[in-house]
Amino acid sequence: MRHNKLRTALTGLSVAWGIFMLITLVSVANGITRSFAEDMQNSSNQKISVWGGVTTKPYHGYREGRDIRLKDSDISIINREHKNTIKEVSSELSGKQSGVSTNKTYVTAGYTGVFPSALGLNQLEIVNGRFISDKDLDNNAKVMVLPEEYAEQLFPPDGRNAVGQRVNCAGLSFLVVGVYKGRFRTIYIPYTTARIFASGDNDIDEIILHLNDVSEITEADGIEKSVRNTLAATHDFDPEDNSGVWIWNAISQALTVQSAIGILNIGVWVLGLLTLLSGIIGISNIMFVSVKERTHEIGIRRAIGAKPMKILTQILVEAIVITTLFGYIGIVMGTALTELLASGIGDSMFEGARVDLAMAAQVTVVLIVAGAMAGLFPALKALKVKPVEALRDE
Amino acid sequence: MIKLTDINKTYPGAVPLHVLKGINLHVKKGELVSIMGASGSGKSTLLNILGILDNYDSGEYLLDGTLIKDLSENRAAEYRNRMIGFVFQSFNLINYKNAVENVALPLFYQGVSRRKRNLLAMEQLEKMGLADRSHHLPGELSGGQKQRVAIARAMITNPSIILADEPTGALDSTTSRDVMELFRQLNRQEGKTIVIVTHDPGVGKQCDRIIRISDGLIIPDNSIITSN
Ligand SMILES: Nc1ncnc2c1ncn2[C@@H]1O[C@H](COP(=O)(O)OP(=O)(O)OP(=O)(O)O)[C@@H](O)[C@H]1O
Ligand SMILES: [Mg+2]
Repeated sequence: MRHNKLRTALTGLSVAWGIFMLITLVSVANGITRSFAEDMQNSSNQKISVWGGVTTKPYHGYREGRDIRLKDSDISIINREHKNTIKEVSSELSGKQSGVSTNKTYVTAGYTGVFPSALGLNQLEIVNGRFISDKDLDNNAKVMVLPEEYAEQLFPPDGRNAVGQRVNCAGLSFLVVGVYKGRFRTIYIPYTTARIFASGDNDIDEIILHLNDVSEITEADGIEKSVRNTLAATHDFDPEDNSGVWIWNAISQALTVQSAIGILNIGVWVLGLLTLLSGIIGISNIMFVSVKERTHEIGIRRAIGAKPMKILTQILVEAIVITTLFGYIGIVMGTALTELLASGIGDSMFEGARVDLAMAAQVTVVLIVAGAMAGLFPALKALKVKPVEALRDE
Repeated sequence: MIKLTDINKTYPGAVPLHVLKGINLHVKKGELVSIMGASGSGKSTLLNILGILDNYDSGEYLLDGTLIKDLSENRAAEYRNRMIGFVFQSFNLINYKNAVENVALPLFYQGVSRRKRNLLAMEQLEKMGLADRSHHLPGELSGGQKQRVAIARAMITNPSIILADEPTGALDSTTSRDVMELFRQLNRQEGKTIVIVTHDPGVGKQCDRIIRISDGLIIPDNSIITSN
């Protein structure tokens, strides 16, 4: 070691580089994982959406190419048949753009008739008042929940006083019961109220199934299949005809993403460890050289009473110390970079990309194991040194 | 102290070499003996066996009443550490450790704390008259000084015997005499049993007894007399 400071330093740097790669990659992967995990906890993922489609297979005397239209009655049928697996069946009914006015000003806006569950499924945040309730649906109440922007425009300057005020829409007077913040810019009214406005037929665009903590892809797929079967029976199309109704299984999708992230994590560790491995091989190499150079010294030590285990541990400890030392240099560099990414860029993907204590512990274990691996074979070689042979003339 | 009975040793190889052909030897406690003989007669081989650095094929070796035969590596290391002190022609000091550290090393393998072993090593160096050189590296010492450091290291564990393979081989005649004086002193004052392999008749003369070895056999004392 002493004799080859430069070589030791260079090899050590490759360990530092390996650890640096490992830390950076794992941190970024952790960041990605965390931002998806936050999404996963969101109830917006616990949903399956169903739209009417066009058949592609003849069935029961019907020809293919028939439009399947979802009806209000489908909601109650699914509700009845899947009570155990589905938390709530709902729908949305969107209306045309229309004028919404106070006696001072007006906006042109679209409206959406919804069930109470739309609040969670659409990730809305109520800033004032409340959202549409079951009671509103039962009473076909003429109430609405405004997006923040419209509340500000209709009730200047800041829309704080919007709740409790009345507005006119389609010639009727509505009571504003809430103001929300969210991704969409539509006025929410009770589903049943929207149904009255809609033209006479009972067609609906979309049925939304709100599920309860489904965490297995097979379970989500099973629910999807049985709902398709129910609708196939009611609308008389082939249950094997996947385009009779279009189904978007957000749960399966999210779960697939989740397992992909799991694979990403493993991949990142493998990549980092491979980089580290090249460093380990380097350390192992200089340890071999060092053992060879010190054969004579090992012979002396053995002659004056060093037990083989002592020689073994000496070499192992040396390898572990070198590996860990340079490893920590890599950790410091990796930490600095990920902190920089997390604070400087401020991109949400890197927000979770921080080196945490658990990871530092994991990496320390990795380093010690790596060092032990690097030292093992040179140490076994050192064990084979016979004192007589090592001491024979220099 | 040392009792060898019919020791045989053959170095294996393409042409096996029968080096020791039935050595019988008795060295009493407190004796200072030298082993002399032609080059290649098997002196170092014999000393390595005495020092438990090497195995022998047949016969029996008793060291201080303990049978030394087929020992495990650990046992051998422990016996070497506690019972035997080595002095070599080429000193065999560890060149990146200073004098005190070199002398203290055998105590490290006994698990003695650093403070205590350095203290004992310092004491030993003082006895050798090297107190002022204690923090020098071997490279900064003369041959005679190096050999005295090596003797201090051999003495540190207070062993029952000291084995020396041509300890004066690399020294000039004056320094050789000093080193031999040191061995005699350790023998007289501390009662150490000492075995010295040497080519130098002057060294032999300073010993109680000279054991002559020729072609793997010990030449009995009376045969020397008769041959003369
Ligand atoms: N490890 C070994 N393998 C094979 N042969 C060996 C080995 N060690 C020594 N020998 C041979 O054994 C014989 C005795 O060697 P040894 O070193 O004991 O002689 P020596 O009496 O110490 O000689 P010198 O006075 O030159 O030191 C020599 O012929 C030597 O070549
Ligand atoms: Mg010899």
